[in-house]
Amino acid sequence: MRPRIALLLFLLGTLGGIVFCAISAGDFAQHLDRQVHSIHCSILPGGAADITGSSGCHVALMSPYASFFDGWVWGGIPVALPGLALFVFLAYRGVGMWLTGTQHNRAAIALLIVMSGIAALTSVVMGGIALFALETLCKTCIGIYLSSFLCLGAALALLVGAGRDRYEDLAEIDEDDAVTMPFAAPHPVLHILVGFAESAVFVALPLLVYVLFAPDHGRFAGACGTLDKPDDPYGVHVPIGQQTAGVDAIEVFDPLCPACAGFERRLVSSGLAARLKRKAVMFPLDNACNWMISSALHPGACTVSEAVLCAGDQADAVVHWAFENQEAVRAASADDPGAAKKMVVAAFPGLARCVGSADVRARLNRSLRWTVRNKLQVLTPQLYVNGVKLCDEDTDLGLNFALPRLLNRETL
Amino acid sequence: MSAALLRMPLFALGVLVAPAFVVSWIYGARARLDVAEMDPVEQEVAIAAASDEGYCSANLKKVLRRVLQSCGLLSSGDVRGCQPLEVRNVATLHGDDFNALFLPLQDRAGILQFDSADAELDADDRQLLSDVFTDQRGASYFFVVARSSPEGTEAFNRQLSEKRGKAVLEHLRATFPDPDLDKEVGLLWLGEEYAQLQEDFCAWNRSSEECSVTDLNRSAFVAWIDCRL
Repeated sequence: MRPRIALLLFLLGTLGGIVFCAISAGDFAQHLDRQVHSIHCSILPGGAADITGSSGCHVALMSPYASFFDGWVWGGIPVALPGLALFVFLAYRGVGMWLTGTQHNRAAIALLIVMSGIAALTSVVMGGIALFALETLCKTCIGIYLSSFLCLGAALALLVGAGRDRYEDLAEIDEDDAVTMPFAAPHPVLHILVGFAESAVFVALPLLVYVLFAPDHGRFAGACGTLDKPDDPYGVHVPIGQQTAGVDAIEVFDPLCPACAGFERRLVSSGLAARLKRKAVMFPLDNACNWMISSALHPGACTVSEAVLCAGDQADAVVHWAFENQEAVRAASADDPGAAKKMVVAAFPGLARCVGSADVRARLNRSLRWTVRNKLQVLTPQLYVNGVKLCDEDTDLGLNFALPRLLNRETL
Repeated sequence: MSAALLRMPLFALGVLVAPAFVVSWIYGARARLDVAEMDPVEQEVAIAAASDEGYCSANLKKVLRRVLQSCGLLSSGDVRGCQPLEVRNVATLHGDDFNALFLPLQDRAGILQFDSADAELDADDRQLLSDVFTDQRGASYFFVVARSSPEGTEAFNRQLSEKRGKAVLEHLRATFPDPDLDKEVGLLWLGEEYAQLQEDFCAWNRSSEECSVTDLNRSAFVAWIDCRL
């Protein structure tokens, strides 16, 4: 491949990387306003945004893998941001080589290969996480992966092309050549070191700006209300998670709600679950038992909630099973109202007599009445630490930032 | 092109691209956050609340409020019960109009039929009572309206009606240990002189096969009322 064509392809790859990373990081950063937003999810830049919250891009963006340093900055720094900076750096190097006609310089090409390799390796890791940990595919992310591989492939092609160039040996570069190669220092090793230093500046600067200028969300900790009556006269609080130490917390959730499963994953993966002594209050968003909603948002949730109440000390196991099998239970229950019970009983035969009984139905009703007593929002999940609410906006992206602050405030 | 001339401006331009994106996103988010804080939009999320069904007309609510206040439920939070004369006075309704208020409750109600001169709940009564009571859903008040048929003296029938109502309440207390029970149950006993049930109620959910006007009024009418007051 002719070096100019390879360089053109390389620049095309950097452009794709910049666009897709900017879309992804921009989608992430817009949540800094604590509101709900649609998320772009298309392999074509500028494709329609997903407003349902069910796309792979939404799952990936809301996952703990989408950002880092989320204990320092609300939501963390989106992983797409250093990606964006890296592609901008690659574009800067590529444009420079194009303008000066130095696409044959091996040291410059080596730098492109190393940096594109970092982008490609990161793509492999993130793609693996999406596929195996999140079990989804994010189209915008795929755009980033393809751009990375295009850059790496084109950089390798440049190297092959450079083999036929007049510079057979890097040591042959004379002083005049060095002057005509804008991105080549006199010595190749120095050239690469300078390149690394430049890339570090390219990546560090936007991260620094993000950290310095992101809105201060710490002021919202503890500012989202309290429970009027946190006591449990109805005996409907179910212990979940460890109960030996930690701050008393009440988690109101629906075992078939995807956001609740996501919340649990974040809570456990962050290690924050260990700092809480949690009691669960079942709040199924299913009109089979919940009169507060007009249709079943999560069909089968009443039955699974009954199973959690029936399970007593084993409630953790039922909750875990429900989170793992949410989609299947919801889908089966949408067609057959009895499906949830069959699935629960198949997984926990010991609960067969209890699930559906008058006693547990009355208990679930009291659980719902507990939410009425406390005038809660018809919304899940909700977490109250010592009766103080963790803001709804902090239950996903902002959890690792907001919950430790709320815990510290409540343990002072 | 000279390397030195090209290198610096290109670097300066390139290094500012990503921070420019960041500044634009963050200032956009900050502006939206400020607007949301200064002018909070009314929350669209519903608040958990008891049911308030369409049949809860202003008239029904007025009667419910009067009955519940006069019978002790709303004022003291305890079940005191309303005697026939009190009910007639507080409801300020003709007996048939009083019964008509409960017609929308057909799917939520049960009629526990007693034997003559008897206030004991038999197995069928207990089963029906449990079925009706455990289907609370979002209802706030459980009405027990005990009656007696016109045989015997008015005083005897008043006592019998009261015993029937209290038998229902005692069974609920014994079977359903709910701290809110006494705040939820509205107990009325009507004797023979007010709001007797007519044969229309034979089509309702009852604990006995027999259905004459006499059978219907040896009874306790039980129903959850899905109204917020």
